[in-house]
Amino acid sequence: MSVLRPFKASDMFRFNNINLDIWTETYGIGFYLSYLSRWPDLCCVQEAPSGRMMGYVLGKAEGSGAEWHGHVTAITVAPEYRRLSLARKMMSLLEMVSEEIYKAFFVDLYVRCANIVAIEMYEKMEYSVYRRVREYYGNLGIGKGGKDEEDAFDMRKPLPRDVNQRSIRPNGRDIIVSAHDVS
Amino acid sequence: MSAAALERQIRPIYDALDTGSNKSAIVACNKLLKKHPKNVLIKALKALALIRSQKVEESLVLCDEVLQSKPIDDGILTAMMHVLRGLGRHNDMVTMFDEAYKQQPTNEDLGAQTFFANVRVSRWKSAHQIATRMYKQFQDERYLFWSIISAVLQAKDVSTPPNMRTILYQLAHRLITSSPTPSYVNADRFHLHLTILRDLKLYEEANKLIDSDIGKSICATNLSCNEIRRDICIQQGRIQEEAERAEQLIVEKKDRNWLEFLSVLDGAVPAAVSAGTANKSTDAGANINRVQELFTKVAEEDASKDRSAALALLELEKRARTHGLSQDRSRLLTLLKQYFEKFGDKACCFEDLKPFLELEESELAQLTSFLEAVPTSFTTVSELRRLINSYKILRYTLPLTDITEEKESARVAAYVRFYFEGLALGDGLPSSELQPADDLVLLAGNTYVSLWKLTDGDCHLLNAVYLLEFALIKSKQSFLTRLILIRLYRLLGASNAALEHYRAMQVKQVQHDTLSHLILSRASTFSLSATGDITLSTECLESTQIYLSNSQETGDFIVRAFTGEKYSQIPEFISFEDQLDNSLQRDTVKIEHLRMRLTHEPINSDLIDMELIELKFIFDRIHYDNRDFAILPNYQPKLSEGLHNQTLLFSKPEGDAWMMTFLKVYIRAFQQASDLDDTVEEKLLIGDRPKQTADFDKKLSLRDRLMQRDPEHLSSLTLDEVKFVEYAHALIDWLEPYHNHCRPPPAVVLAEAAKQTELKTGHPLKGIDIPPLNGNGHHKKSEEPPAIHEAPEVVVKYFDAAKSRFKEAQSKPSPSELLHVATLAQEAYLLLVTETLRFKNPSVVKIHKLGNLVTNFKTLRSDALSALAEISSTLIKRGESDGSSDSRHLCMDHCSSDLSSNIDHDFIVTCAKKICDSRKKVLDGVGKGIDRLRTTYA
Repeated sequence: MSVLRPFKASDMFRFNNINLDIWTETYGIGFYLSYLSRWPDLCCVQEAPSGRMMGYVLGKAEGSGAEWHGHVTAITVAPEYRRLSLARKMMSLLEMVSEEIYKAFFVDLYVRCANIVAIEMYEKMEYSVYRRVREYYGNLGIGKGGKDEEDAFDMRKPLPRDVNQRSIRPNGRDIIVSAHDVS
Repeated sequence: MSAAALERQIRPIYDALDTGSNKSAIVACNKLLKKHPKNVLIKALKALALIRSQKVEESLVLCDEVLQSKPIDDGILTAMMHVLRGLGRHNDMVTMFDEAYKQQPTNEDLGAQTFFANVRVSRWKSAHQIATRMYKQFQDERYLFWSIISAVLQAKDVSTPPNMRTILYQLAHRLITSSPTPSYVNADRFHLHLTILRDLKLYEEANKLIDSDIGKSICATNLSCNEIRRDICIQQGRIQEEAERAEQLIVEKKDRNWLEFLSVLDGAVPAAVSAGTANKSTDAGANINRVQELFTKVAEEDASKDRSAALALLELEKRARTHGLSQDRSRLLTLLKQYFEKFGDKACCFEDLKPFLELEESELAQLTSFLEAVPTSFTTVSELRRLINSYKILRYTLPLTDITEEKESARVAAYVRFYFEGLALGDGLPSSELQPADDLVLLAGNTYVSLWKLTDGDCHLLNAVYLLEFALIKSKQSFLTRLILIRLYRLLGASNAALEHYRAMQVKQVQHDTLSHLILSRASTFSLSATGDITLSTECLESTQIYLSNSQETGDFIVRAFTGEKYSQIPEFISFEDQLDNSLQRDTVKIEHLRMRLTHEPINSDLIDMELIELKFIFDRIHYDNRDFAILPNYQPKLSEGLHNQTLLFSKPEGDAWMMTFLKVYIRAFQQASDLDDTVEEKLLIGDRPKQTADFDKKLSLRDRLMQRDPEHLSSLTLDEVKFVEYAHALIDWLEPYHNHCRPPPAVVLAEAAKQTELKTGHPLKGIDIPPLNGNGHHKKSEEPPAIHEAPEVVVKYFDAAKSRFKEAQSKPSPSELLHVATLAQEAYLLLVTETLRFKNPSVVKIHKLGNLVTNFKTLRSDALSALAEISSTLIKRGESDGSSDSRHLCMDHCSSDLSSNIDHDFIVTCAKKICDSRKKVLDGVGKGIDRLRTTYA
């Protein structure tokens, strides 16, 4: 139960309960404004009836040709609102808009290889690993999880336009690319 | 030399500018200017390099030269755009592009630049005209829409008179209907169209758009358009239709957006009672029943997967009660219990139920016994969360009679006990995770604060610190725990410990605006700037970086939203920029920084003049309060004043009133001490004058406004601050006539400024005629000086009063109040120094025959100095004793047995030591700082 509404610039004044959590990065205002000034329909907020922000997603559309796709740049839910399927609802909005408005072939996202909980969640939402991106998350360095801490999985979910399901490959986990090949 | 050769020589200048080597850019420019002294591009680039090296005056000279040449060359215009932006001269930028575009009306890019220059200074009328012209010239529909949104933005501008607004909207409407392609080709154009129709209340036309197939499909895929669609439906009273549509979505599409549930609820029964709804009660009763059935069905279907329907049932019952339509008095309680049964193990259960806890006594008693029956033994995280939720609700609904020392002590003991038991459930968690039992610590923290309020015993604050610090070892990332600790440490006078936690939260970017109040409100109380330790004043400066980014970046994104035609975002970006630019916290920090600065830097006319200009700008601004207080984990009973108010330093909030009160003091004091009057300031000002956005009676002069006193404003000041403000105004009132008598006339001030500029840059100040000076630079006044009055009593007695307040505050265990009194006395002395600076010069005194006045100062100063000497030495001594091992033991002795049986003794020692060390540091530092200022301004 939550209000699903567009992300607005003024939400930056109110997202502390989400962003003070260490897993959510607070970027410069230019970051949020650049998304809003290009893909406002791929940015949305979940809000509690009390008006408190629960989570948000920022996405974009990119790629050329058959690589044209919706991309989830940031998706986050405040600790107290986890396990309420909020992420799923925001993702389905993003998928719907990617499909209907942007006519994308697929939606993709990056996730730390060590983040098993998240990977399983995305798998439930029909995402699968398309490739492994080496040293995508440089900032934390190699921790307990070794390479899994800094490598990312690029996970994809085909949209109806991807008739041949080219965004799915069974051996995605074994296909390794380096970070500067992807963005 | 050929053009190509010249271009080759100019390229290195660009490279140098790009890499930030401004010095070598200047050298390269100078070299080329020798050969090509008339080349405007090189001058423009040099102006840019100069401004980037902070050589403002020199840059100004070149900048004016370039502007006079009315450039049209793209390279020059671009360079000048950066120069003018750096100087804050946006109005000149508009003129520059305007003139260039006039000369080249077929240059589309130039047209767009001129449009954007106007956008940056919110000149919507001219922006509209330019866009209209561009549309005619270039036939790109985008420009038509630029002209439309410019008209809308002009209508929204505060400076537009209300009768003009409708006319502007009508203009926008006419233009948008004239568009060759309909607005629905693009969701953002469609959004703009709907906004115009909504604001003009042209509902029929709006309905046609919304109900069309394409309109429906846009609203189904675009949340912003859907938002405005819903708005239009509600505004014209299509509530039933909206309810039906929402119901369909809920049932058929399984939409669980709470907004849809609200639409269905609104269709059945409005949230609040209003006239005219009463007579529909039979209808309403049937409606309620129907919706109740619907929600019950959905709730059963969704089970524990989604909370919407279950919560909607509660909301429905709440509304039915408000309208006297509830058919079953026990229903609300039943629903509450059901909800708790179903979702009691979700972390947000308490928050969900909060709005429905307005219960009658008997109902509350039933709910209480239901919740008290929740098992206190747990083996799973779900069970633990259920217990926590029950505690939160029980605590929230406590009647005042149950908030007693005894009962609160019992509660805190329970919370603590179950916290330590609950830790077992989070045993194997990685260090980045949060303990499931954390909320019990937050509950305990709240309760300790409540006990402190009830008993005034600092021991409760200490216990809270021990427990919360311990919890942070178990949940390293719990920012909620840190938030309470920051507040507690400030109350305990351990400011350094507070700062440590604040920094650990890694507040950054826009969060500085919303959260820096945690550490910077009244921060000058703890500032050691006088001793050269500028930690806190640096913190002030760092927190204000965001305002700089805002003014540098946000405008660019507004421009981008125009180019990308994201019309829905433009008004949002503009108001975001505005809200951040005019942030209350920004200017509160400014005041706090000024108070610290005065203790650190020599008080002289440079400092006074600069601050004066800035403070006057602030005074003319409207302020937005963006501070986030909701972030504090408040689990206090709803009848109490809440954790935020309870833990405010000195129990007084800062806010607009506080800021304006101090602002008036400093503007008045600096106005007197400064030689800049309005005419001089006008001539010396470099950038544009900011708009006056504050809401005040425009007939009043600045002086009238500064003299206005709102007694209500004093209620957000501490008693000591009130005394300080009284003293300050009395001092200023007393000295005003003498300052006015001695202040050199504007011509003399300007001449001096011109001389200084010429010394610095080699160029005289423009537009200023320098009158002949009469030899020594001091003008003689023929008139007699104003009669000399003795210092007013409020001023004379201030320091004595401060001394006795200081003695009083010594009895408190926390040194915070003591520091408050001490730093205010120090501030009062520095104000005296500022106010009497002009009369330090013996020749000024002699010429103006103010010898008798100056004798008054001597006694004032010596009284103040002796009071400060006493305060300083007492603080230093207190620092020693507070930092001693005896004090540490005293702190540790307060540790309750609930805690000491669970927390390692060494850990308590460390915590106590941290508090004592932190207290010692601030007491000693402030004490020594005062001593230092005594010598500096003896």
